[in-house]
Amino acid sequence: MKSVLTVDDSASIRQMVRLTLSGSGYKVVEAENGAEGLKQAKAAPVNMIVTDLNMPVMDGLTFIRELRKLPAYKGVPIIFLTTESDAARKQEAKLAGATGWITKPFQQDQLLNVVRKVLG
Amino acid sequence: MSSIAEATEIFRQEASELLEQLEQALLDLHRQPDNRSLVDTAFRALHTIKGSGAMFGFDAVAAFVHDFETAFDRVRRGLSPCSPALVAAALEARDHIRALIEQPQAADAAHGESLLRALRAAVEGEVAATPAATPDASPGPIHGPTPGQDWRVRFHLGAEALVNGANPLLMLDELHSLGTAQVTALVDAVPPLDEIDPESCHLGWEVLLRTESPRAAIEEVFIFVSDDARIEITPMTTAEVPAATTAEAAPIAAVPAAATPAAVAERPRAEAEIGRVGGSLRVQAERLDELMDRVGELVIAQARLSQLAVGGDTGLTTVAEEIGRLVSELRDTTMGIRMLPIGSLFGRFRRLLHDLSRELGKPVELVTSGEETELDKTMIERLADPLVHLIRNAVDHGLEMPEARRAAGKPAGGVIRLKARHAGAEVLVTVSDDGRGLDAERIRAKALEQGLIAAEARLSESEIHQLLFQPGFSTAKEISAISGRGVGMDVVKRTIEQLRGGIEIASRPGQGTDVTLRLPLTLAIIEGLLVRVGNGRYVIPLSAVEECVELPAGEAARSGGYSLLNIRDALVPFLRLREMMHCATPADPHQKVVIISAGDQRLGLVVDQILGSHQTVIKSLSRLHADVKTFSGATILGDGSVALILDVAQLLEIGQAEEEELRNRSRQAA
Amino acid sequence: MMSETHPPAMLDVLTLGIGGETFAIEAGMVREILDLVPVTDVPGARDFVRGVVNVRGRIVPLADLRWQFGMKQTAPTADTRIIVLELELDGEATPVGILADRVHEVTQLATASLESAPRVGMRWRPEFIRGVGMRGDDLIILPDLARILN
Repeated sequence: MKSVLTVDDSASIRQMVRLTLSGSGYKVVEAENGAEGLKQAKAAPVNMIVTDLNMPVMDGLTFIRELRKLPAYKGVPIIFLTTESDAARKQEAKLAGATGWITKPFQQDQLLNVVRKVLG
Repeated sequence: MSSIAEATEIFRQEASELLEQLEQALLDLHRQPDNRSLVDTAFRALHTIKGSGAMFGFDAVAAFVHDFETAFDRVRRGLSPCSPALVAAALEARDHIRALIEQPQAADAAHGESLLRALRAAVEGEVAATPAATPDASPGPIHGPTPGQDWRVRFHLGAEALVNGANPLLMLDELHSLGTAQVTALVDAVPPLDEIDPESCHLGWEVLLRTESPRAAIEEVFIFVSDDARIEITPMTTAEVPAATTAEAAPIAAVPAAATPAAVAERPRAEAEIGRVGGSLRVQAERLDELMDRVGELVIAQARLSQLAVGGDTGLTTVAEEIGRLVSELRDTTMGIRMLPIGSLFGRFRRLLHDLSRELGKPVELVTSGEETELDKTMIERLADPLVHLIRNAVDHGLEMPEARRAAGKPAGGVIRLKARHAGAEVLVTVSDDGRGLDAERIRAKALEQGLIAAEARLSESEIHQLLFQPGFSTAKEISAISGRGVGMDVVKRTIEQLRGGIEIASRPGQGTDVTLRLPLTLAIIEGLLVRVGNGRYVIPLSAVEECVELPAGEAARSGGYSLLNIRDALVPFLRLREMMHCATPADPHQKVVIISAGDQRLGLVVDQILGSHQTVIKSLSRLHADVKTFSGATILGDGSVALILDVAQLLEIGQAEEEELRNRSRQAA
Repeated sequence: MMSETHPPAMLDVLTLGIGGETFAIEAGMVREILDLVPVTDVPGARDFVRGVVNVRGRIVPLADLRWQFGMKQTAPTADTRIIVLELELDGEATPVGILADRVHEVTQLATASLESAPRVGMRWRPEFIRGVGMRGDDLIILPDLARILN
């Protein structure tokens, strides 16, 4: 079973991601900020990461920069799921190693399609 | 789908927590307007509510928060200071968000609009006052309409683009958002039907875009498209638009885009210090209540089992003992889960105090301590209203106006202290003010006027203080909107008694008043002392029991009459429960006295027999027995029968009345 | 009296004997019927709700209608039962036990056969009675429990 780590300080968003993905046969792991996400990712490798940008303790950008330093996460797709649509932030995310960007609010189908295409 | 409903419920809870964080941050900002990390906290709370709100169909919430956020963003970017006016407006806007979430139908859109106007005025008013901000904004736009530049944007996404999460629709939407766009699909690369790979994107698009944004903005739309995409962005030379205006506009617009990344990098990472303990789990409150009910039933069933096991075979006895141990551990664990730090409640009062202070024109500071003190969650919920009353009273009646304070040699600003601490099996919660203290003479006069006491009544200070809890009693010279309507203190007392707690008042003239609530740790299960009175069995809460003594033979023979007992040189009044319960059976030859106490009051209860301590699951009595004050509830004993739980506060009151009468009688005799 | 096109509305009731009279309680209100269990006296409570019983872990007040209808108190027998009802008291659904000397049957009463309590010539307070009906030779009393207990 392919696994997806969702990192978001909003429990309801995490729940929504879980609902969307676990119904389609993905295992969903949750973390409520970048620091926890990093801990989770190190503890048990996941196939894909969906993360928020603005979070307390460790934000999304710092999180993926740290993640990309780990050999196991060089090629793992990372999608940002955020209310922001500021081009400069996107550019920054891209440079930090993000694979894609979905703007909140998202459609369940939209997220599912992206994950399906990335993970098969 | 019920799981969506569940997620929506999670959103509601989350939003209410975020609104609380927002409120706390705003209140803190009131005192520390320059604290960046507070601004960030407030901003992040707004941001999350906006994002999640839109997710769960709270569109009105998302729209309102968006505008709120926009106004507040000026503060975050350091363009406007966090003024008291802004904090006040933001607090009101916060309340509106809560209304939008909790009662969307009732929420008033016009009210929302006026709140947003107030917010904008609060941030922009400050801008106008800052002279440097205005002049340099003008040159560009002054030359009238700027029609923008026309661009032709053609793009073919690579075969892998969709796989990588790109969504051409979103890109087209984004291009639309830059200006006016005309979109044509390019179908030249679409293969014959049987060669189509449904996972690849064979289409291309041509977009004729008129926009004021620079080329970079268009390029940024395609950031996340994989490298094998073909993207052409060309300015349309056939444009009818004068090129000069566009050239001027471009660099101005480009400034913020270039500046942002640096600002982001510089943002302090103070959040890292907050650090949370991981591994916590969110559980619905009702489930905890249910769990407690089940454990309660288990405790009763276990008591029954151990009774049956007495004298049974050793195997059964061993198992019964083992289950007994497990049940009591399970009970402790369950009660532990239900414990919450009282700080979550204290936090709510900061807002109350902020509003009261503004309303009454009395500067007030709230000082809290013992926030980590834990109480059963139901208890915390039910304490909220009584504490609101006490705090209102303290600010409204307790604290003097600033001039009066200064005249009395005190600082103009008053201090309200909220303190919680453990004392044995109780938690003490104290609300103190540093105001004028209680005026015993005035209370007495008022009580006399309202016919609550007789003119010749001699009352001790604590008895006078207790008058404050009489229904209908109010000392406020003028009835204010905040308190002094004569409802409140009696309601406070009743609520606290329902929680099996008590209230004490201490007053220091000119220095302030302390109101202390004594509360049991939990509501659901107590240790009780099981006693027999006639044929009936009753439970006395063990936390109130001081000691048990033999009823002196001389007293046992009498009934009624002078009922004082000498306990180590202190006279303690006592009640004969047999008389109270109208027992017809003969009394036991060796009756016992259970001494109960609360605060400085003590009372003896004469019983026939003490049966031992008993883990008591408290069940309430129905409305049909609401008029019976002697009992606070009932419990089910091991044999399945019901035993009533004596209401300690009520008995002490009866005891006090009795003592009063005794004293009056002895005075008359003298 | 009764038109043929409108069949008489029937009321499902449980009939019980209390103090020599037959009472009927709407079957829909009845939760369960129990043999007599030990009753705990509540000193200080009004006479007609002097006790509480344990019904599956819930503390249920036990009402004795004999007090309200001025009947003689008699010792319980092997036929004595507790009828557990759910009543709306102050807007809250409350389980209440009713003490009965015996339980007869679940039957149907034609509502048309019910008459409101006569104002005079009754031994009981008329406001406690919703109606009286005949079943064979028996007079059946439909008590107004909400009123009796409030």
